[in-house]
This record gives sequence, C-alpha cells and structure tokens, in this order.
Amino acid sequence: MLALTFETFRQLTVDGFFRGCSYGLLGVGFALILGVTGRFHFAYGFTYTLASYLGFTFAFRVNWPFWLSAALGVLLAAVLGALIEAGVYRPLARNAGATALLAVFVAALGIGIAGENLIRLLWGANTQAFYGPRKVGYELWDAIFINFDVWQAASSIAIAVLLAAMLRYTGLGRQIKATRINPDLARTIGIDADRIYVIVFFLGTICAGVASFWYALKYTVDPGMGTLPVTYAFVVAFLGGTTSSPIRVFVTGIVVALIEQYASIWLSVRYTQTAVFVVLVGYLTYLAITQSAWYVRVRTRTAAGV
Amino acid sequence: MTVWISYLDQILLYAALALSLNLLLGYAGQVSVAHAAFGAIGGYTMAYTTQAHGWNFLLGTALGMVIAFVIGTIVALPALKLTVEYLILLTLGVSSVILGLVVAIPSLGGTYGLINLPAVDLFGWHLRSPTDWLIPSGVAMVLVYAVCHRIGESPAGRVLKGIREDPVATGALGKNVFAYKVAVFGLTSALAAFAGALIAGWLRLATPGVFGFSFSLTVFAIVIFGGMANLTGTVVGAAIVVLLEPILERVIDLEPAKAGYVELIVYGLALAVLMRLRPQGALPEGFSVWGLLRGRRQSTGRIEMVADWVPTTVQRVVEHDPAHEEPTLEEEQRREHAWHDAPVVLQTKGVSKRFGGIIAADELDIELRRGTITALVGPNGAGKTTVFNLLTGAVAPDAGSILLHGEELVGLQPHQIARRGMVRSFQDVRLFNRLSCLQNVMLAVQGQPGEHAGKLFLSPRAVDRAEQETRERALAWLRFVGMGEFAAVPAGALSYGQTKLVSLARVLATEADVLLLDEPASGIDTKWVDTMLDLIEQVRDQGRTVCVVEHNLHVVGRLADHTYFMELGRITAQGTIAELTSSPRLAEVYFGT
Repeated sequence: MLALTFETFRQLTVDGFFRGCSYGLLGVGFALILGVTGRFHFAYGFTYTLASYLGFTFAFRVNWPFWLSAALGVLLAAVLGALIEAGVYRPLARNAGATALLAVFVAALGIGIAGENLIRLLWGANTQAFYGPRKVGYELWDAIFINFDVWQAASSIAIAVLLAAMLRYTGLGRQIKATRINPDLARTIGIDADRIYVIVFFLGTICAGVASFWYALKYTVDPGMGTLPVTYAFVVAFLGGTTSSPIRVFVTGIVVALIEQYASIWLSVRYTQTAVFVVLVGYLTYLAITQSAWYVRVRTRTAAGV
Repeated sequence: MTVWISYLDQILLYAALALSLNLLLGYAGQVSVAHAAFGAIGGYTMAYTTQAHGWNFLLGTALGMVIAFVIGTIVALPALKLTVEYLILLTLGVSSVILGLVVAIPSLGGTYGLINLPAVDLFGWHLRSPTDWLIPSGVAMVLVYAVCHRIGESPAGRVLKGIREDPVATGALGKNVFAYKVAVFGLTSALAAFAGALIAGWLRLATPGVFGFSFSLTVFAIVIFGGMANLTGTVVGAAIVVLLEPILERVIDLEPAKAGYVELIVYGLALAVLMRLRPQGALPEGFSVWGLLRGRRQSTGRIEMVADWVPTTVQRVVEHDPAHEEPTLEEEQRREHAWHDAPVVLQTKGVSKRFGGIIAADELDIELRRGTITALVGPNGAGKTTVFNLLTGAVAPDAGSILLHGEELVGLQPHQIARRGMVRSFQDVRLFNRLSCLQNVMLAVQGQPGEHAGKLFLSPRAVDRAEQETRERALAWLRFVGMGEFAAVPAGALSYGQTKLVSLARVLATEADVLLLDEPASGIDTKWVDTMLDLIEQVRDQGRTVCVVEHNLHVVGRLADHTYFMELGRITAQGTIAELTSSPRLAEVYFGT
C-alpha cells in the first residue's frame, strides 16, 4: 500500500513548487534564446555556473558586499552570454548558412566543455559552500521551507512576469517578437536583428544567473553544476513552447518539477529524473504522431464520419 | 610503449563507435547525441551476460546489438517528423532515460557499474594486454568501416544524402524516407552497441561514467573533427581526440591533474574554432586519401559558373519548328481538339482542401491527357501549387478522388504516388546542393537494386552492374537538358537557370508517365526559356503527360494544349489560352487591370 500521508504530499508539493520556479526561470531564459535566435545554446549551463562562481569570488575573495557581488556575478555572466552570441554564434551562423543550427550546436558544446573545465582550472574541481545571509526556516500547513526558497520564488516569478510584460507592452518587446517571427523581414522595417539577438542572450542569461545564484545559496557550487539545469531548461522550454509567453513556460517548469516530485511517491528516487525524460520522450512521440500523415488521415476520416 | 599501444586500441575502438554515428549524422543528416547510450546498451549487455551468466563474449555482444537495434528503431519512429532541434532533444532524452535506467537497475551495479569483468575470451584466446587487443579492435574497426562504407557509398547512401539535403524532394522522387530513416537509426544503434561491447571488454568494466553524456559528446566531436560523411576522416578524428591528452601532457609538461582540464579546454575551444574555420572537418565529404595517393583529382571545392554560359548540346528528338514559337489561332484550336481526343491519364473528382478558414481547393475536377501539355494558370494565391501538393500526396485532400490510370491515389504517401508514375518538380527547385548534378539525377532513377540492404551485401555484382547502368542513364538525361558537362559539379554551385535544367533532368530520369512541372521557366534568363520550352515539348512528343503551372502567358500559349484557369481554389474557366485571355473578366482577375 502507498505510504503516502497528506503531510508528505503537501511537502512534496511545496518542494516541487520552489524547485519548479527554478526550472521555470531556466526554461524562460532558454526559450527566449532558442525561440528568438534559433541558436541551440548548449553553453547555457556554463554561463549558469559562471554566475555563481563570479558572485562567490567577489563576495569571499575580494570581500565586496554580498548582494552587490551576487548581482555583479549575474550581470557579468549575462554579458558573457551576449558576447558568445556576438563573437561566436553570429559569425559562425553567417558562415555556415543552411547548416547553421548544427554548427552553432557543436560550437556551443565546445564552449560549454571548455568553460566548465576553465572553471575547474581556475577555481578547483571541489564543491564549495556559498555562505550568504542567515538561513531561516518556516513552517506552513505542515510543510517546511526556508527564506531562500521564498526569495527565489518571488524573484523568479517577478522576472518571468516582467519579461512577459516587456514582450507585450514595450517597443523593445515588439521588436523582439518581430525578430522571432522573421528576422529578415524585421530587418527590412529597420529593426537591428543582430542587436536584438544580443539583448535576448543577455536577458536569457540573466534568468540562468538568477536561478544559479539561488541554487548556490541553498546548496553548494561545483564546476559541473550546470549540466543538469541546462537539460531541464531544454525540456521546460520545449514542453512550454519556445515561442510561447514566458508565463506559460514558467508554469510548465513548475509542472515538470511537480511531476518529478510526485514520481518519487511511486518510484524510487533513483528513477525520478528518468521519469521527467520519459515524459519528454512521450511528448515528442505524441508530437510526431499528431504531425504524421497517418494520424492526419485517421482524423480526417473520423471527422468525415467514414 | 604499452601506453601507446593502449592509445592505439582506444583510437580503433572509439573510431568504430564514431563511424556508426557518422553514417547517421554525416550521410543521413540525423543528429543523435544518444550514440554513447547505445554503446552502453552493448557494453552493459555484454558485461552482464558474461559476468553473471557466463555467456560467451560474442554472444553477449550479439544480444546487445539486437537490443540496441530494437530500441534504436523505436526511437526513430517519432524522429521521422521532427526537425533537428527536436531530434537533438529527443536523443538527449533517450540518452538520459537509458543511462538513468542503467544506474537504477541494481543488478547492473548502480552508479558503480559492472567492474572486474572477466578477460574477454575469443575462441579460446584470452585478451589480457593492450597488444592482445590490437587485432580484435582493428578487426572491429575495419568491420564497422566496411559496413558503413558499403552503405554510405552506395545507391542507398545516395538516398540517405538526399534525405539529409531535402527529405521532401527525396520522397517526391519515390524514395521511402520513413523506412530509410528508421533503418539507418536501427542499424547504426546496433553498430554502436557492437563498438560499446568491445570498449567495455577492453576496459573490463561497464560503468555509467564510461558511457556517460560526456562520452556522447566525445564521439560527436570525433565525427565533427574528422569530417562529416567522410569515414576515413572519422578515423583521423578519433586519433586527434584520443591523442590530444598524452600529447598535451608531454608537450606542455603539465601536472597530470591539470592536464585533463587543459585538454578539455583545448578540445572544447578547438570545436568552436573548427566550426568557424573548417566546418567540413579535417577530411571533407568526397575527399579520398586513396584517390589522392593514386593521383585522382579531388572534386570537393565549389566551382563558380560563368554567368553567360548557354547550354549548347541539347539533343533534339524532333526538328525545331519555328511555327511552334507563336501558335496561330487555328494551331491552338487543333491542339485543343487533339487534347480532347487523347486518353485521360489522370482525373480528379471533387478534390477539396481547407486550411482553417481558407479554401485552398474547392471541388476540383481536372483531367490530364496522354501526350499533351495541360497548363494551370491563375493569379497568385489561386492554389496552383496546392493542386500539385494534393496530386502528389504531400497534402491530403479533405474530400474527393484522384485517379491515375483508374487507380485511387488519395491516402497514398508521396513516395508511393511517385512510384506509380507521377512525379513533380518544385517551384523552388530543391536540388540536393551538396551532391553533384549527376548524383542528383541518379537519385531519381527508379528500381535500383543497390537501395536494398539485402542486395547490397548479398549480390554486390548485380548492384555494381545496375549502378553503372544508372550512371549512364542519368548522364543521358543530363545531356538531354544540355548539362552533361556539369555532371561532376555540385548542384549548389550552379546558376539558377542551370538548376532548373538539372531539376528537369531529375524529374525526367524517374521516367514517370505524368510530369507535374511547377513554374519550369520562371525566374530564368530569357535566352534559357526557349531551351526549356523546347525540352518540355520534346517530352510531350515522347508521349508523356505533362502539367505545368506557369505565370508567363507567352509560355503557356506556346506550350499548353489545354488550359485551366484557377481563382481562389476553384477552376473557373478552361479552354485554349486565347479563349481565356479574350475574356475581359479573367484578364482583370489575372492582370488586375
């Protein structure tokens, strides 16, 4: 029999929600980058890791104020994200033409591998603790969480909402959407698509950096910490839709985290990560089937009443 | 010294795994980051069966290959309709699921994996030292190379390259894109499992770390470094990637702990730089070391065409008749009568198609008749290209029937319709840019035995003979359109008008009964138009059935025996072009005057 109490369920839901805010934010950033620029930015994980390491360095090696260091780390990582677009992907895509997607993917893999190991070389391969403000525990409806969870959720939601509002109501947002639909056409009406791409990389990396910072504060930092988040970012971005609103992608992130949490009720913890990917493979299979000629035929026949 | 022999083993084994990926990635253009996971299936199956059940190494390997083949085939099923982005994601997901399951199954050793495997026993020969492993790894590499080479450089490989360049155009030439994709995915998964089993046997362990995601990336990098669709390049790539570590250690003289990181940094940056400077890899597609040694000229670069080149070698089947140029009214009438007397080859009844609220085709009744040219004219957006999409099965009609020689085509896949003898050209040409003109046309030849895996391996001589024949036929069609001297030139290097001619040769080479030509003369230089029209008339005079979509009314006037006028998805008039243009209403619709 399932040994599931209502308390466990509530705890799983609360954990899932907080974790989902992190997945959601990662997905929002990745979806923005992939949806607008079409670049398969696998080095996203590297910029994610770097944000925490930079913040860590400023706060504990240079001894700058904690929050300033954190913000600086995120900003510098975002600048690096923008530089990767301007300095690597853009010339590459121009040169490669029709095979740009694969070329960018391979280059991004390369930068990701090089970056991760550069961090190992500079900061050492060990796990490091990241001491910030004091940790305070809360209890609400029998579920336990900490102040970092609350801040993380609040800032993640705020960023997702701000991005959604920016896309919807500002001139820059409209330019980004125009570029997303058709960069060449956007150019003809005077939008500098190259600039938009750089901005999108900057904004997308901010999302990664913020998610990274809260993770580092709650747990620890290590050079390989970006590998898993980047896969979740992929999954959430695709499930949510790379061209849909940040809000929708964000909610998808929460759903994915909840699936992962609830899977641990029935499955051993060892399988929960796998469960997420099973959902992903299932979803892609579903997509493929609904697009297949066979399915269209069957549906047409049913609709025609044959 | 033993260290270097060990590196050599590693190069051979990694190359074997990467070769299988190159067949998939380089030839078929299917991106997979799951190949190391398929290697894990082979490695773990072999390790588990030999360790826990005392199976023979080869038997365990074979079982691993079967399992990988089945899983690979299943993975490929949804992959058919997915774009590259989704394929990367799908294979990433599959890879995570496979590795996740391997870690989660207790009898496979969890995160520690299976270690201390018994030394591999091949026919009573215990493989213990790196030197012992040289021969088996060499044999394995050569085997995988031979299989990949046989497939990649055969008519089947040509179809794979066609799928890589343009799956829609490949399907329109009668190739079963779906079957090819599934087969190549399954086959390369099995080959990866084979290599994976050998790697596990060589290391005497199968752990999640050995076959982890970073190994997937290494294999991927080997293919990219070496050059896609170049198998020798992959072996070179494996040597580069494997030897990077010892060379860096010795040359830069780093402490071993840091050398690993520096190696990965160099290797990551090299990937990024390579994509910028030499995206085709160390040995580009079509480059052959053996050919170079034998002094054969390498045709890999792009050749820029002289802009004002005009085809001169058009072979005329019938003497050119100047009267064809501007048909008189009587001539048009005579042709219209001839059209009505000719037997119906293709007939559509009430074919309709809606896209949301837009009616793209509304109750279309069209007839194409043998030995005649039927034209489809109408303003932009009238649905002319949609008619071709409906006829060739690219779009399924909501209602209606399409009969070719009395056989119902609705419900058939594009490749099935092409095989029944109706083939289309595309308005945007859709040649396979990285293939030579000759290869483009050869791909269109129907019924090649070399496209079947069984015949490819079991009756090589018949395949070679057929290939020779295919080559001659394709060359004859290229000469027919006056492009014979461009046989070896990659299609991507041609001027627009030349691509139109090659695409006509490609359609003709299918020897289909019914040819649907989408704007064959549009966008090409005026001096080429005559050549093109001459060719189409000759095709008609050979007794084939032709339908053209065309904007240029002079072209239509010269070619068409019968014309349909289309507006907003509906046929609103038909007859000779003179009859249609004399109607003030149609003229207004068409010219907007």
